[in-house]
Amino acid sequence: MSRVAAHDGAAFTRLFEHHAPVTLGLLSRILGRRMEAEEVLQEVFLQVWTQADRYDADRSTPRGYILMLARSRALDRLRRRDASRRREEVVGAEQGEAVSPLGTERLESLERRRQVTGALDSLSPDQRRCIELAFFEGLTHTQIAERLEAPLGTVKSRILLGMNKLRQTLSAELQ
Amino acid sequence: MTAAPHSARFEELLPAYALGALDGDDLRELEEHLTAGCEECRRQLELWDRDLEALAGSVVPVEPSETTRARVLRMTAGAATAVPPPRRLPRWLALAAAALLVMAVWGVAGQTRLRGELERLTAERDRLARQVAVLDREVTLARDAAERSAQALQVVAAPGVKSVVLAGLGPAPQAKGQTYVNPRQGGALFYAFDLPALPQGKTYELWYIAAGKPVPAGTFAVDPHGAASVRVERVPDVSSIQAWAVTVEPAGGVPQPTGAMVLKG
Repeated sequence: MSRVAAHDGAAFTRLFEHHAPVTLGLLSRILGRRMEAEEVLQEVFLQVWTQADRYDADRSTPRGYILMLARSRALDRLRRRDASRRREEVVGAEQGEAVSPLGTERLESLERRRQVTGALDSLSPDQRRCIELAFFEGLTHTQIAERLEAPLGTVKSRILLGMNKLRQTLSAELQ
Repeated sequence: MTAAPHSARFEELLPAYALGALDGDDLRELEEHLTAGCEECRRQLELWDRDLEALAGSVVPVEPSETTRARVLRMTAGAATAVPPPRRLPRWLALAAAALLVMAVWGVAGQTRLRGELERLTAERDRLARQVAVLDREVTLARDAAERSAQALQVVAAPGVKSVVLAGLGPAPQAKGQTYVNPRQGGALFYAFDLPALPQGKTYELWYIAAGKPVPAGTFAVDPHGAASVRVERVPDVSSIQAWAVTVEPAGGVPQPTGAMVLKG
């Protein structure tokens, strides 16, 4: 990232090649529309290119930084959009059909993805639903309670218990 | 106002805060607490952020299109090698960079408009394609009709054409028919009017009687007005034809008449 901040084009290209697929995967998951997701992907990497000097290596990995930037932009878009018109376009690459040939880095990403997916699977369906609504749709406690027609306190505890369990499973898998 | 000291309650609010799900009093109280500088909460919040980064990376990767890849990588064109940026940008360069950034962002916004236009044009193209298909079909039908008319004219508008009128019988007394035979070509045309439609599995069959024997000359169905026409490519010896008849037969026709006769002449 420091080389990108120094406007090293080759470093930026490597950063894009390495992180764009998972970023686009996240954007597609949040926005549901492939074309819009690709637009936001351009915005995200434009921001990375122009503001890489704001990246703090102590706070996050480059991948985490880019993904959270992407999530924030995608949720902003989502909030501006009419919720009823969501997900009208099926994301064709949902099954990962366009994933590049596996390199070492890809294998590491796959392994990490497998761990997180496994951790998500360890949650109860209700806990998982609440966390996904917050994370991928940007809903707050109150909005989730309304969406699921569940008591607010129940939603709060599902998120707290779910997040704690997610962390436990993840750290157990990493050890 | 003094913020509340660190407590388990704040720790419990942190995961939802990291998710962005906190709202109401919970959000206000935790933000006051964080703003007051609770180091323990800051540290834990960073750990939650790391977990969420892992969650974000759990999605199925999607390879960007070539267009997107080219657009993004074009931003760095001319900066292929590492060049340490000057500590302070000259004012004109900062302004130019700002202008370029505005143009780039404007370009992305422009894509949204272009996408709308593209969708409209695609719908228009599909509508026109459907129209062309309909017109194509109409042209084919018209060409077939013209072909049939030309063939009919060849039979009818020839010297020595013999015409026979067929009258309706038993089940269809109102029906009428007419044949035209061209003795030179040996071709014949038959027209039927006011014949009732037949149930499924049945067909009308045209016959000519030559040397006392019925010879099959084709099967036909009638249109909603009860009309039909049959073109008989070749009748062997025009002078030997004694009569014409139409009977109702099983679908596909039969070599010898078996059903009721509805026209004769």
